[in-house]
Amino acid sequence: MLSFALRRILQALAVLAAVSAAAFALFYAGPADPARAACGPRCDTGQVAAVRTSMGLDQPLLAQYTDYLTGIVAGRDVQDVDGSTRHCDAPCLGYSYRLHQPVTEALADHLPVTVSLAAGALAVLVLFGLGTGFVAALRHGTRTDKLLSGFTLVGASVQIYFLGYVAQWGLVYTTGLLPLPSYTPPATDPVAWAGGLLLPWIVLGFVNSAVFARLTRSQLLETMNEEYVRTARGKGLGRLRTHLKYTSRGAAGPLVQLLGLEAGALLGGAVITETVFGLNGVGRFALEAVEGQDLPAVVGAVLLAACFVVLFVALADLAVAWLDPRIRLG
Amino acid sequence: MNPSPAAAPGHRAEQHADQHAEPAVLSVRDLSVTFADPRGGAPVAAVRGLSFDLARGEVLGLVGESGSGKSATGLAVLGLHDPRTTTVTGSIRLAGQELVGAGEPVLRRVRGGRVALVFQDALTSLSPFHGVDAQLAEMYRLHHPDAGRAEARRRAAAMLDRVGIPAARVRDYPHQFSGGMRQRVMIAMALMNDPDVLIADEPTTALDARVQRQVLDLLGELQREHGTAVLLVSHDLGVVAGTTDRTLVLRGGRPVESAPTATLLAAPRESYTRALVGAALTLDSVPGTPLPTVDDPSPAPRTAARTGPSDAVAGAPPAPDRHWLVEVEDLAVHFPGRRRGLALPGRGRPAPVRAVEGVSLRIAPGETLGLVGESGSGKSTTSRVLAGLQAATAGTVRYDGVDATAPDRALRRRLAKEVQLVFQDPYASLNPRRTVAQTLDTPLRLHTALDAGQRRARSAELLEQVGLPAAHLDRYPHEFSGGQRQRIGIARALAPEPRLIIADEPVSALDVSVQAQVLNLLMELRERLGVAFLFVSHDLAVVRHFCDRVAVMHRGRLVESTDRDRLFAAPHTDYTRELLAAAH
Repeated sequence: MLSFALRRILQALAVLAAVSAAAFALFYAGPADPARAACGPRCDTGQVAAVRTSMGLDQPLLAQYTDYLTGIVAGRDVQDVDGSTRHCDAPCLGYSYRLHQPVTEALADHLPVTVSLAAGALAVLVLFGLGTGFVAALRHGTRTDKLLSGFTLVGASVQIYFLGYVAQWGLVYTTGLLPLPSYTPPATDPVAWAGGLLLPWIVLGFVNSAVFARLTRSQLLETMNEEYVRTARGKGLGRLRTHLKYTSRGAAGPLVQLLGLEAGALLGGAVITETVFGLNGVGRFALEAVEGQDLPAVVGAVLLAACFVVLFVALADLAVAWLDPRIRLG
Repeated sequence: MNPSPAAAPGHRAEQHADQHAEPAVLSVRDLSVTFADPRGGAPVAAVRGLSFDLARGEVLGLVGESGSGKSATGLAVLGLHDPRTTTVTGSIRLAGQELVGAGEPVLRRVRGGRVALVFQDALTSLSPFHGVDAQLAEMYRLHHPDAGRAEARRRAAAMLDRVGIPAARVRDYPHQFSGGMRQRVMIAMALMNDPDVLIADEPTTALDARVQRQVLDLLGELQREHGTAVLLVSHDLGVVAGTTDRTLVLRGGRPVESAPTATLLAAPRESYTRALVGAALTLDSVPGTPLPTVDDPSPAPRTAARTGPSDAVAGAPPAPDRHWLVEVEDLAVHFPGRRRGLALPGRGRPAPVRAVEGVSLRIAPGETLGLVGESGSGKSTTSRVLAGLQAATAGTVRYDGVDATAPDRALRRRLAKEVQLVFQDPYASLNPRRTVAQTLDTPLRLHTALDAGQRRARSAELLEQVGLPAAHLDRYPHEFSGGQRQRIGIARALAPEPRLIIADEPVSALDVSVQAQVLNLLMELRERLGVAFLFVSHDLAVVRHFCDRVAVMHRGRLVESTDRDRLFAAPHTDYTRELLAAAH
């Protein structure tokens, strides 16, 4: 198991290195001129050239990439457009000339919102997806199954910006059942934190749970036909306990994998959800960075999202190996 | 595994006479099991009006071909059928207690406690997620709620020790054991609570002959030690012959005949039983002669054994400088090994798996070479190289005098026409979405110059050649039985008029009587068309009956390669002797 884990972590690091290179290439080799973008529309050619020098863009590409990687590992000094030098602590993802702030700091401001949103939405997704999938599988072919399957199909087909507005209208503006979505740091007021995020959690979790619920159902139905499940029943184990102990275990692999992907994706920022509910998370930050041609911020956000996806996919793989001795022990 | 019926131990039949006085521990009356058709069609009756008694300590064989209802009967005793799709009527009494219609709480106490199950494939029947001792301990605790974890573990370890699993391995997972060891674990688990009745559903069918014998012996020993009554469900009369006191033959869900096993095998009353007994090949059949089948219980005898291809192909006398169709020299096939641990520089590549090593084979035109070995011996890999489906790591393959190790386009085309394949699984090897006509048309279109009309006529001819009416051309595979599908597979192989047919376990997945029919067909076609065969099989009786020469493989190497008669009369190596002993 240990060597399996080490191998998987090395793979993850290799993927991250590749993503960082690709993101970097997008920045500096892309069609947009980062110096002009940083300097702003009112700069003349001379000013842009000065900015280019201060940003180090006149250096060879490899040197720039090395600088960038060094910054991530050890931090580095960066020059702002006005010529002042600032230290950017590790992990330094570059410097936003639009915000006059290191990208890491800016991201750190927005990350708690996204993490809060993602964690709650994942909890809703798992509870709702597993629950409906499990019940539908146990009652497969019955009216309950068809009803639940239809309900999850609604989730799969409806868009967040539609459901989000409808839910806000129905639960907040009309009835006042829930407070207006907002972010309060959990350390300040945990109740306000949960209350303010409840609606976004439910909407984002529900919309994303459809695939999870359907996979849960089909995985369980497939595993129910496994011979070891029949053996468990033949031992005298009850139906429910058999499904909880054996069927679930057999069905878990693909579900854990999907959950890893979902977690990575949600933590990378939920642009539409954040926009609909007016939450200022990483998704909104990335969107504004793109609109403002703030390339260092875009690259930073891309790298952060990639890190989350790679991390959670690797964690899911480890969890699957831990669950299944055939993978763990080869 | 096909011992002669006469080998059934006589003392078992006598024992049975004494037991008759005792009340039956399991009493089945007028049992019917009916499955609803999932697509809403007419329900299918798997068992119809079955009655039998199982005395305490008795071993009863439940024998039948696929679809005879033998497995459905076993599951009905435990109430394991899905009540939403299955209707069970009649009566099943376990020591007087009615089980049909009994509630879940009653059935749960019976399952694993008083009636235990052993299934065919222990790899899929044991949980892959739990150590074997934990699975046995769970079995104990489910029926001894007061027992602690430690006691259950201790009992599990003791039981595993009894079936020959070393103490150091009791925490291992099922996939870490060999097939025979796994089945021992399964049996140990079934006997954990000292049940009254053990239902063993094809307990040794998935095992190699040698291991099969060992597991059956163990089952017999434990059965006598514990005094357990056993319902042994099997399609294999050989297994039943050496193991059971009494045998009940089922066909289409109905009982055909029931008698003490020795009597049943020596003097079957019903014609179906006679055909079953006759169709089961033994090591004293006359090679190459037509086998009795259910439809034709006594085929026109051919007294002389087939002696070789010269018998079939006129004007090809065996000579020292004879021409070979296929010559394999020093063949090796290695698969890359699984990496364990980190791929650090200096650690090198993991050791390859040597599936085939130093194998040399020859097949003359029109000759049938049998390739024999247990699972994992490399026989299928060798045949895949000859079929061009697997690249050789080393060695040479010559076809008709030409080097075919790395064939060019033209040679590959020629091989694709002249070397054809027949597969084991008649269900998986036909495309379910193509009609028989479409399936047969493809090789004709690729390898002959016939136009569409001619191809259809040829397809009809091929179908008739394998004993199916030409009117079935437009049917789909699912409309045929297993034996009929295998005939279609053979017709497909014959379509481009091949010189060599590679048949990998072509009759292993078929019922005994169907097996005889398909073997008869293959023998007849061989005589008529003079085609050479590479016949891969684990079944020595079938190989002996069908093949001219036999090559034995063991752990990737060729152990022995000689004439059929010489091999079976005087095997050279210990390994071959062991194989033969297990088949007797």
